[in-house]
Amino acid sequence: MYDFIKDPNFYNLVRGPLVWIAFIIFIAGSIYRVKSLIDLAKKEKVIFPFINLKATLKSIFHWIIPFGSKNWRLRPVITTVTFLFHICLVFTPIFLLSHNLLWYESWGISWWTLPESIADIMTIVVIICCVFFLLRRIFDPTVNFITFSPDVIFIAICFLTFFTGFLAYHQWLLPYNIMLYLHILFGEIMLISIPLTRLTHMFYFFLTRAWMGSQFALWRTKDW
Amino acid sequence: MALTNIKKEEKEKIVSKDFPEYIREDIKDPGLDESIKKLTPEKIEKVINAVIGKKSSRIKAIIETCMHCGLCAEACQWYLSNDKDPTYAPVAKMRMTIWELINRKGKVDAEFIKQCARIVFTECNICHRCSMYCPFGLDITFIIGMVRRICFLLGVIPQRMFEMNQAFMATLNQVWISQNDYIDALLWREEEGAPEIKDFRIPIDKEGAEVIWFPLAAEPKSGFYHIDRIAKIMQVAGVNWTMCSKDGWDSSNMPMFIRDFVTMQRIVKGLFENTSRLRASRIVLTE
Repeated sequence: MYDFIKDPNFYNLVRGPLVWIAFIIFIAGSIYRVKSLIDLAKKEKVIFPFINLKATLKSIFHWIIPFGSKNWRLRPVITTVTFLFHICLVFTPIFLLSHNLLWYESWGISWWTLPESIADIMTIVVIICCVFFLLRRIFDPTVNFITFSPDVIFIAICFLTFFTGFLAYHQWLLPYNIMLYLHILFGEIMLISIPLTRLTHMFYFFLTRAWMGSQFALWRTKDW
Repeated sequence: MALTNIKKEEKEKIVSKDFPEYIREDIKDPGLDESIKKLTPEKIEKVINAVIGKKSSRIKAIIETCMHCGLCAEACQWYLSNDKDPTYAPVAKMRMTIWELINRKGKVDAEFIKQCARIVFTECNICHRCSMYCPFGLDITFIIGMVRRICFLLGVIPQRMFEMNQAFMATLNQVWISQNDYIDALLWREEEGAPEIKDFRIPIDKEGAEVIWFPLAAEPKSGFYHIDRIAKIMQVAGVNWTMCSKDGWDSSNMPMFIRDFVTMQRIVKGLFENTSRLRASRIVLTE
């Protein structure tokens, strides 16, 4: 196993075709998932006539900002952890210097980058939040009752991606290149699993909020 | 009388065989206990696949977006009033009903359907508070409603709800009042109110009125004094209003709670048809 990962061919695989596969599945799969849900919704005659754009935007706005809705305010700890987790999870990979360099080397494009120290802290935040979520799944009886294996696997994927990235950056534990290969591999697994699993919630969030925001607008109340 | 002497009757507790956490008192209800004896596995599978087999967009969105975070729990009055028992959380109700029905592809036994019926009929009020607390705004009550529909189609409904629905099927009101009795009640209340207000009238079937008032069935049956009170308010306020004499005057839509779509539709259609027949411009309902 160790030799297998150390083999340069493995690097060529995870850095070459697997990246293409991961990004194609991620982008095409996500578009397909969103489009198929919208097409399905068009078949149900009661959905689109009731969608209210103003209420939708209001609803999304109130839930996407920290402490913007009633439930976020009622649970400050969860809110803080959730928002830190999601902000760091989404923005660290996009604006990381080394990721940007890869884009630049391959396609000659680049954009803003985060200072290395801040990116490091954001990575640690994601790791700590993953541990928090895992402990919550184990020790909160309400959450434990509804925990299935995929829920733990989602946390594990995020954790391993960021943890291997963190270790590779600091060159701890395993040799740098092996840690890096593992990091790339887990990152690709994460990208692939977004359209294929419930991680699609990053896109469905806007659709489900659109429906419920419009419903509550119809009932002359607000859902935040 | 010494209240302390009254012992609280300890009822037998039953533990669900699918979910060891789900422990409830044993409650006998012929609507559940007797009707599950008629069920066969084929029948159950057929009904479940008919309702949720081909997932509609709303079911799909809810099942595939829920991240099992449990943030909806605090919204539920059942959860809060049962010492935060995990099995009362809205998402736990989904987990014990629809997730299992989907995972097992409808291959469940009659006992499981009875348990589903108990969860969706007696432990959820369909108040939509969980949707207000869900970060994704998932319509959990819609799922509960779908499971209620499965139970309704299988005939596994609490007896009281079943009988209420029968009343609606037969008379379009929930208390078995015939049209004669209803008109009689209105005329009687007009007589009763007459000594108090000059020219007191309860207009029936007046065409072209501005407001048409549909009472709840309980008002002509047992809360009859509501009728002349409302009539007095309308008359003193100078509202041009009317009541309707034909069937389809009961504004309470109990079949909605068991998702009997046909009867639900008949009731709403009845109200709108009566309104358009009398050319009233506004409908007022008792809440």
